Amino acid sequence: MRVAANRETCVVSSLCVYRAPTVFAQDDMGQVLVVDEQPDVELHEVVRRAARGCPTKSIKVTEADGSTVASAFDFD
Amino acid sequence: MRVPEALRGLHTSSAVEVKLPSGDKALLVTRYRDVRSLFADHRLSRNIARPDAARISADNDLFTNPNIDPDPPKHTQVRSLVTRAFTARRIEGLRPVAQEITDELLDAMAAGPQPSELNEAFAFPLPIRVICKLLGIPPEDRSHFRVSVDGFLSVSKLPPDEVAKARGDLFRYLAELIEAKRRDPGDDLVSALIKVRDEDDHRLNDHELHFWVTGLLIAGYVTTASQIGTGTAVLLHHPELVKEIRADWSLVPSAVEELLRTQIMGSSVGTLRYAIEDIPLSDGLVIAKGTSVLLSEEAANMDPEVFDRPFEIDIRRTENHHMTFGAGLHYCVGAALARMELQVATETLLRRFPNLRLAVPGDQLPRALGGFMEGFTEVPVEW
Repeated sequence: MRVAANRETCVVSSLCVYRAPTVFAQDDMGQVLVVDEQPDVELHEVVRRAARGCPTKSIKVTEADGSTVASAFDFD
Repeated sequence: MRVPEALRGLHTSSAVEVKLPSGDKALLVTRYRDVRSLFADHRLSRNIARPDAARISADNDLFTNPNIDPDPPKHTQVRSLVTRAFTARRIEGLRPVAQEITDELLDAMAAGPQPSELNEAFAFPLPIRVICKLLGIPPEDRSHFRVSVDGFLSVSKLPPDEVAKARGDLFRYLAELIEAKRRDPGDDLVSALIKVRDEDDHRLNDHELHFWVTGLLIAGYVTTASQIGTGTAVLLHHPELVKEIRADWSLVPSAVEELLRTQIMGSSVGTLRYAIEDIPLSDGLVIAKGTSVLLSEEAANMDPEVFDRPFEIDIRRTENHHMTFGAGLHYCVGAALARMELQVATETLLRRFPNLRLAVPGDQLPRALGGFMEGFTEVPVEW
């Protein structure tokens, strides 16, 4: 799994930092930082949940098979 | 106490026409998928200071301010000046402060007579103290706010002259506060915003400074206060849920989320927006350019396409991405602060009072009417 985040669209909800504090962090402005781009397997589910829950869909998770989790409720 | 039946079946159509308290008409968007994507859609403007936009209230120009540009890119720049005060690290720095205030208030409640009115004893004092601390408002000024905030948020509860008086009082108080902080800055958010205003003229003007301080005070106070009182009432009305939490305190955060999903305190009139282009919805219906639009957080949170058994309170939901704090670039700035306070309040109340219960039947609790906030006006409890 690979994790990336879009700092341009981040609105500082802090949800990802609370869900997966070893994977996501914030700079002084609160903007998202990915501190572990390839998290261990036991973190995968919580990282997917963070991606699904991001209010601006700013987290991109690419699975080992190449599929992506942008948002569980990504209807577009 | 129950989730309103009116929310059932609303999702069969992607939007319904509604009449606002002002008598003006607007389109209410009902489905999670549309609400979530429209919160982030630039074709829907948050600027409702337009001659042909619907008004929320005939007596109160709530959320309408011709001096403020609430759309990107201007809004996004100003917002980032504020969000830096709400990072997870800063919120966690405030957790011990919230805990200390909670302990003090609950000690006083325990020493007082029974039944006690929870809003008065605890739910309202906690968030006002926390937000005043964050903004740098002196403790002796706090008592001011209950009345003026009530007037500020009246939709049909108070006559226009009382609304105008409340809004004027609050405006003057905050203008004086800003002047006082300018002369004597402290380590607080108001002082930090004044610094931005005074050192870089293009980033924040006087109107915006005043607008944000007002917004932070109002949003940081009465929303969380109403949610503490009403969320606690809902829990106490369901003793089996309280028992579950007491058996496993790690359930507090997910219980708080579920109460946020099912018991929305701020009415959806706060989401009023204006379509600057035609916008198609999920079932093919088109919002016509020039339409005033409400994004129904309540209906989205009850959408069976997204939430399994939506009308059931399930404090163990893990995928609970509700719309109570909105989505997209207007996502509630204070959401993490509210969550932290709600967690501290809920856990400490239930630990401190092992026999806490409602002193009247839950379905007899009075709801607030005619205001922007819709919580229970009184929550009498005993222990």
